[in-house]
Amino acid sequence: MIKALGVKLRLEDVSVVRKGRALLDHLSITLESGQLLSLVGPNGAGKTTLLRAALGLLRATSGSIWLGDANVQELAPKQRAARVAWLPQHSSAAEELSALDLVMAARFRFDEAFAKTEHEARRALQRVGAGDAAERALGTLSGGERQRVALAGLLAQAAPILLVDEPANHLDPAQQIDIYRLLGELWREGASIALVTHDVNLLRHLGNADQVRVAGVAQGKLRFECPLTAPQLPERLGALFGVTMHELTLGGQRVLLPERNS
Amino acid sequence: MKGRVGIFVGVSLLLAVLSLWMGPSFVGETRDFVLFELRLPRLLVGALVGATLSISGAAFQAVFNNALATPSTVGTTAGATLGALLALAFDVGGGVLGVSLLTAAAFGGALVTTLLVSGLAASGRLSKNDVLLAGIAVTLAASALASGVQFASDARALVAAAQWSLGQLPQVGYRGVFLIGPFAAVTLVGLLALGRPLQNLALGEDLAQAQGVNVTRLRFLVLLVASLGVAACVAWCGPIAFVGLIVPHVVRLLIGPKLRTLLPLSFIGGAAFLVMCDGIARVVLQGRELPVGVITAALGAPTLVFLVSRARRG
Repeated sequence: MIKALGVKLRLEDVSVVRKGRALLDHLSITLESGQLLSLVGPNGAGKTTLLRAALGLLRATSGSIWLGDANVQELAPKQRAARVAWLPQHSSAAEELSALDLVMAARFRFDEAFAKTEHEARRALQRVGAGDAAERALGTLSGGERQRVALAGLLAQAAPILLVDEPANHLDPAQQIDIYRLLGELWREGASIALVTHDVNLLRHLGNADQVRVAGVAQGKLRFECPLTAPQLPERLGALFGVTMHELTLGGQRVLLPERNS
Repeated sequence: MKGRVGIFVGVSLLLAVLSLWMGPSFVGETRDFVLFELRLPRLLVGALVGATLSISGAAFQAVFNNALATPSTVGTTAGATLGALLALAFDVGGGVLGVSLLTAAAFGGALVTTLLVSGLAASGRLSKNDVLLAGIAVTLAASALASGVQFASDARALVAAAQWSLGQLPQVGYRGVFLIGPFAAVTLVGLLALGRPLQNLALGEDLAQAQGVNVTRLRFLVLLVASLGVAACVAWCGPIAFVGLIVPHVVRLLIGPKLRTLLPLSFIGGAAFLVMCDGIARVVLQGRELPVGVITAALGAPTLVFLVSRARRG
């Protein structure tokens, strides 16, 4: 459903200053086509701001943001929606809407017949295993089901770049793993994904851990970028969050356990 | 779902047609005259006004994501009232382009306030709540000016102003249909065409924008397109309370919140509701008519309370 179109997301020396405070501070980062880049960092580090700037929802004070060869600010809204889709951290969708309504709305950028929109939306819901929820009101869905439906919306928009903000927040462990597995599948199907999270341990459920990249952000600055499997990651994460990261090995994979510095 | 929509449309059409026979009965030649030269044009005007106010209410509730938004939220009614009161106070007679100066002044007043608020929305620097506040501020300012005008008016103008502000479908043959028709058509067609992006707004403004909706432009277009029709309706009939607030809520409670059905059904339901209220206004008092605005409020408010309490109980 999503095809890698060779579109990469590039932020060049981007600053976002609001009320005298730099939310992003001369930050440069690139999401290559087909890459999965996990953005980690403490609360208020600027991760969500970075995603919102990349979506054109807020204007960078300086620097430039590129979607492929086009500057984000110069793209028409529908052109931008054809390149990048967003799963926000908090949904403010009306509770009475059905799952199908929500996913169909994501097809806005296409000029197509109603029947085609509905067909594509149902296909996307089936793809994420939420085909049965199509007619149900959002307010009656569980947290995990809602995230699946939101992911179906991302699929329905069919943009090559997906910006996903804390997709497993408030979910129980089984649902968290399911959502990460699903994201991993979309990635292997060709999507480029920027994924904001606090919990690097969840990233191993994506699969292909050696190809997942981790970018540490704090105070609006990029502090490091390295593979998930890099030996120096625990130390860097510890410095980023101001904790000590202990390493455990579980089934051949590294798990990190934070402890407060005394 | 499909069945419910069918029943809603059927009942609406039935009520609208039935209202033609509500009122004092006549026989023979007078009967045909009353039906086709008086009641039918009045029914058509009522349908246009009810449809315009209701679909605009539904669109404003969506664009402001606020259940209390009405077609007058952006100051349309207050501007029309100010214009009308000015015309009455200065006792201007005559007319322009086939309408009385009173109507023309009300239309002008409505356009001024509406364009002021829509212009602010078009700048793109204001959030939806800022636009809502601007609408309230413009409404209060226009109302204050209107009070000032009333203070300076004589008794005859005051009575006429009170009558105007009750809202009434005037008895003037087919002229009203031709005058309101084009404006109402712009509103109805325009808002139906904007249903799709308005639906995206229900997911949240930011997500809608990420999905490709130009939210600033959408807000401006909705305000402009809706207010043209509403201004024409209010100028012609005076402010008719409650229709634009209540009908969309009733449709939402009976059928659902999806704009694809909400907008067209508000249109049909609003038309039926207003002509039915007008029919009741003709028969409730012996020998004289009540202003239809009194009936819409008296009938609409309890209906809404009943439906809301039923929906809450599930």
